[in-house]
Amino acid sequence: MSSLSPALPPPARTGPPRPSRSSRCPPSPWRPPQSSPRSSGSLACIKEPLYHPTMQIFLIQLINLFVCFIAQDVTYFCPFIGALSGTVLVTNYRLFFRCMDREPAFVLDLPLGVVSRVEKIGGASNRGDVSYGLVCKDMRNLRFAHKQMEDTLRKSIFEVLVKFAFPVSNGLQIYAFEYGQVFPENGWKVYDALSEYKRQGIPNESWRITKVNDHYEVCDTYPSTLAVPVNIPDEELKRVAAFRAKGRIPVLSWIHPESQATVTRCSQPMVGVNGKRSKEDEKYLQAIMDANAQSHKLFIFDARPSVNAAANKMKGGGYESEDAYQNAELVFLDIHNIHVMRESLRKLKDVVYPNIEDSHWLSNLESTHWLEHIKLILAGALRIADKVESGKTSVVVHCSDGWDRTGQLTSLAMLMLDGYYRTIRGFEVLLEKEWLSFGHRFQLRLGHGDKNHTDADRSPVFIQFIDCVWQLTRQFPAAFEFNEYFLVTILDHLYSCLFGTFLCNSEQQRFNVRTVSLWSYVNSQLEEFTNPMYVNYSNHVLFPVVSLRHLELWVGYYIRWNPRMRPQEPVHQRHKELLAKRAELQKRVDELQREVTNRSASSSSERTGSPTRSITPVQTFV
Amino acid sequence: MAPRYSLAQERMLSQSGVNVRSRDVFGLRCLPGECVLQRAVMVRKKLTAREGRGWVSGTLFCTHFRVAFVPQDSPKPDDNADPVLLGDHDVALASIEKVVVVGPNRTKLVTPNSSLKFTPEELVLYCRDLRVICFLFDRLTPDAQVIEITYTIAKTYQPPKPGSVLSFQNAALGSVEMKQFLSNRRRDTHMNWFESASDWEQELERCGATGWRVSSVNDRFEMSTSLPRSIVVPQKVLDTELKKSFAHFHEGRIPRWCWRHPRGSDLLRMAGFQNNIYHEKDDIKNLEMILFGCQSSLCVVVELDEELPSPADIQLSHGRLRALCLGDISTSVSVPDDRWLSTLESTHWLDYTRACLRKASEVACLLRGGHLTVALQEADDRDMGCVVSSLVQVMCDPHCRTQRGFQGLVQKEWVMAGHRFSSRINYHRDNDKEEAPVFLLFLDCVWQISSQYPTRFQLTEDFLLALHDSIHLPLFSSFLANCQRERCKRSQNLGQSYTPVNGWRDVDSSSDPSDPPLPSVWDWSLQYSKHRRDRFTQPVPPIPSLQPLLNGNLNTHPDTHRPSDTVPGSVFLLSRGTFSCPVNLLPWRAGSSGVYKKSHRRAASSENVPGLERLLKAWAMAELPQGVTSTSAPQGPLDPYEPLLPLLMGPCMGLWKECYLRGALHAQAFSHPVSANHPHPVERLAREVQQLKDELARASSGADPIPPPKTAEPRRTDTNLNQNANNGTFLFPASRPQSASAPRAAPPPSSANRQTSRGPPPPPASAPPSRHGHHRDNGGGNKHTFLFGHPPAAEPRPDQRYYPAPNAAKLPKSNGSSVAS
Repeated sequence: MSSLSPALPPPARTGPPRPSRSSRCPPSPWRPPQSSPRSSGSLACIKEPLYHPTMQIFLIQLINLFVCFIAQDVTYFCPFIGALSGTVLVTNYRLFFRCMDREPAFVLDLPLGVVSRVEKIGGASNRGDVSYGLVCKDMRNLRFAHKQMEDTLRKSIFEVLVKFAFPVSNGLQIYAFEYGQVFPENGWKVYDALSEYKRQGIPNESWRITKVNDHYEVCDTYPSTLAVPVNIPDEELKRVAAFRAKGRIPVLSWIHPESQATVTRCSQPMVGVNGKRSKEDEKYLQAIMDANAQSHKLFIFDARPSVNAAANKMKGGGYESEDAYQNAELVFLDIHNIHVMRESLRKLKDVVYPNIEDSHWLSNLESTHWLEHIKLILAGALRIADKVESGKTSVVVHCSDGWDRTGQLTSLAMLMLDGYYRTIRGFEVLLEKEWLSFGHRFQLRLGHGDKNHTDADRSPVFIQFIDCVWQLTRQFPAAFEFNEYFLVTILDHLYSCLFGTFLCNSEQQRFNVRTVSLWSYVNSQLEEFTNPMYVNYSNHVLFPVVSLRHLELWVGYYIRWNPRMRPQEPVHQRHKELLAKRAELQKRVDELQREVTNRSASSSSERTGSPTRSITPVQTFV
Repeated sequence: MAPRYSLAQERMLSQSGVNVRSRDVFGLRCLPGECVLQRAVMVRKKLTAREGRGWVSGTLFCTHFRVAFVPQDSPKPDDNADPVLLGDHDVALASIEKVVVVGPNRTKLVTPNSSLKFTPEELVLYCRDLRVICFLFDRLTPDAQVIEITYTIAKTYQPPKPGSVLSFQNAALGSVEMKQFLSNRRRDTHMNWFESASDWEQELERCGATGWRVSSVNDRFEMSTSLPRSIVVPQKVLDTELKKSFAHFHEGRIPRWCWRHPRGSDLLRMAGFQNNIYHEKDDIKNLEMILFGCQSSLCVVVELDEELPSPADIQLSHGRLRALCLGDISTSVSVPDDRWLSTLESTHWLDYTRACLRKASEVACLLRGGHLTVALQEADDRDMGCVVSSLVQVMCDPHCRTQRGFQGLVQKEWVMAGHRFSSRINYHRDNDKEEAPVFLLFLDCVWQISSQYPTRFQLTEDFLLALHDSIHLPLFSSFLANCQRERCKRSQNLGQSYTPVNGWRDVDSSSDPSDPPLPSVWDWSLQYSKHRRDRFTQPVPPIPSLQPLLNGNLNTHPDTHRPSDTVPGSVFLLSRGTFSCPVNLLPWRAGSSGVYKKSHRRAASSENVPGLERLLKAWAMAELPQGVTSTSAPQGPLDPYEPLLPLLMGPCMGLWKECYLRGALHAQAFSHPVSANHPHPVERLAREVQQLKDELARASSGADPIPPPKTAEPRRTDTNLNQNANNGTFLFPASRPQSASAPRAAPPPSSANRQTSRGPPPPPASAPPSRHGHHRDNGGGNKHTFLFGHPPAAEPRPDQRYYPAPNAAKLPKSNGSSVAS
């Protein structure tokens, strides 16, 4: 271990270490180049660099972080640069690799949460090399090799990795539970159901807040606070719950402030092969329709393809028949299930990582169908938003269980309809409400700390949603307060297991769990995530174009590991410069204006009339 | 018959006006001599994404030159202003490719002979430039007018046929007034036209290219019919020696100087070798001298025929791309979304742009190495030579990324160099085999670079689009001939004589002014209104300072290593990314008797290849992060001559949607406030910065500490300040009643705001801003509000739904009452 050169540059005393910045292989495209180094790197909370003498690197000290393993002379096979030899350090949170041979040093820094699978490649060869692959959830694979360890170091990297990458399978705690960083703001307080409903004007004459689910008795995957039609008493809600899958009754997600048209969400009705009906459920949907005086119709959007919806009857589920539900119109949105989406993303990864075949790029991309799925989801959300906005009609959205596709559709429609959700805090509220509180099964879909990588419940539902949001930001670049980096950060911490935000499956499970919220971190450095071009569109509805001709692959996320994809020019930079210039010029105009005013005031006797009306100041929103 | 009657009436309407530049009563500003053939009122035009989407209603006209559309409340045109060929909503008849009407449940392609059995509800004009213009007839439009104007357009537009060009030109420019107007027109003196020897000398000086001179040996096109009058050759070659060399190149297109990189490398172009019989030593000596120019050490011949698409390839690919982007015109069937990507791939258009960009990047990297000569060789040197040489200059020379510089570049490398515009565009429809949109491929390549380096270009996408569209109008001398000789002949035929002293461009004052030469495409004010032209350039110049005077001896860069081991006279061939020195590269050296063979035997070794390959490898490495961080850290001062090398991976090559998908109607299905395509916020921001600068200039002049003791002075200040005060509102919407009560979501159906926005031109940077400046961007104060800045907190905003209180959690429930709006 002492073989490493001691003649390294002395550790910087202040600020986070450079390595952490370059740790994410390519300089990230969304990064404003002159950002403060404070928040660079994927790791949020930096207290003070800890210099690790053996590794010759600066560890970012996290609370309760401990070093598990250090190994030298490990080879990392970078698919873009080639084999690199360096030192590996594994902690209970992350894997750190550093190669000193290059200038600047190559650093790889990866939260263990992104590891989906650790596999041995080719076994121990006769040359004594051990080789592993790490399959990651964030669109990359890593390969390492090292010499067989001495007997004294029985534990191989492999075992350490398997242990700490999958803490749940090994009876350990996910790091988020140990991470106790304190931020100026407590992100868990961002969302409060009552105040969000209040913002929407609920309760009102047609909708009330119910505490029927206060102890998660009616539905254990729903939040405790629900908004339901006024004239349905709590007892009836329980009977409706019996007819809806998993007890997920139709509840209000969003209400139009003018037309009172609503977006409600639920799970599929338990119709079954016999076409069972429920008086209470029918009455309930009628009540939802009646709550909106503008329209005498109710649209039920079933996110599934009609074939799948029909097939669900075999399992007791199904869809609302138009006979039973007078005045309701059922629309199928043809969005495929979680298994299709998982497969599509897997194919996409094959196409973009590590190498891209230029001559067949577009047809390869097409064959993944990823953009087509994105299009269907956006198209569905667009139809919902259009019905609510233009048709002034209330809509009910469901899929099978109402926690995957339903969440995608309602939250996207709300994003189109309500400018509040396009601010940073509003978006956090949207995620907290439509995804976290309504029980999107993050733990199950992502498999945090679970080694069972073939689990059929895993699916990139949430990534798809963020992708759709990104598509919206592309089409309406000034309508969102957050930037691309914000979305990438959310996806990074979706897997990192540093924050508790995306850990559990429901509000009930999240109750009483002590973790740090991602929003604590985000909200304490908002300037990093702010779109300089944002203007308040709050009173406009966004109708995106959902043709494939106008959708793009989110290169900045899916292909960000490829160094050849680095953007040529930081456009952010120019935006910021222009804003700064505008502010500066405005200041000078104001100063001169004042001067003129003073002068004219002092010599006003010579003049007739007042020449100086002050210029309205330019508002700067940086 | 009603139609005939109305037609006659129209003629009277438009011609009996007192003013020769007459105005139709419905607001169309006719060109001199233009008459309105038919008119339809209460028509709505569908606006594209770029125009802001939605609909605008107004009056539709058909003249014998264009289909014009005048929005209802457009400002009264100034009758004394210079004529502009095309208004903002107009389309020239020559641009129209197909006319389609949509009726109840059916679609019909209208030809000059077809008859309509139903009243169209929609009229769709498919244009050659890939625009699709869609007019909707309201119920208020009289049926007779609808049918008549459809017939009139169908009969008057020019289906491609030989001979229609002249009649179109006459329709546009044939009137006496127009001719008079054109003959008095001054050309832009701020750009280099590369027509005379002095123009070329100016360029040599700009590039700091010493060792070269302008030769007029081809002044009467005797040496080469397709080369321009003036060519640049090495100083040490005499004209008499030069004359002997022409025979050795295809069409006499000998190696000519194009551009010098600031590190001292020269870019040359030449055609393929021919007549490979070299009798005299002098012959060979001259050829060597011409080729090596003043570098005399190292020359790289870049072969263009092999890796780049042929004109036929380009034509085929472009045809497929058109079909894909427009869909099947007559049946309005388009490629389904799920096959869009693979169909796009199979057009190979993106492959071809990539190939051109890759070749140009290689050349740019070679030139960056310094002190060598790169000669682009193409068999006939009239297609891909133009593409690659001009792309290299766009990448390397910031001057070529300005509007004027780019126009000069096109003059130099395309118009004067003898790109066969006339044949390639095939205006006369007489030779379909030759047709190939090589120039459009070039524009696409430029767009690719500019989309990857948006802040390094002074010209904008709007400029490229305007140029793209103008190609399809057979009106401009720039594109109507295949070379300078043809262009000169043409102007002589038109009654202009060439005078040896002044050159042909100076109109002989004694000659008949009724037949002036056709205008150049660069005469933009003839084609577009001022506010369209203002969008051709970035309002705030790109960050690296422009207008660098290239200095031929910029050798301060540390990398510059003059290949020291160079044997004078080494020649290498660059082909498929590798260097080689085939024996017959220079045919005269391959000969057995040549003296040069002996003396250059060593040169033919591959000693120098590694050095050259390093130059190319530097490019490949630059794509890797390690290279990036060390060489082009964004913080460091930008070297303006560092070539803008585009990324060429699959995901990096984009489709120029703003151009090719302009007509995709499904993209306009929804109207919404602002899309990605509409004036980018940064553009608006940049304009605001400009306006603030103007304001500052004025305010500071007003606040001049020592005002000269003139009586007039204070008053001037007053007016300025008042203007300021007015102007201030452009930054912030005055709370206008109509905007406040505008419907919440959809843009106002009436185009009131939008139209005023198009009207007055924006203030030029130097002139005092007009009072109307604030209308320009987007009319309604309403729109401004959401684009730029929040309104002052005190301003009432009844249309707002959720008041963005700083603390979102404590929102007052103030919204229920806003239903009224």
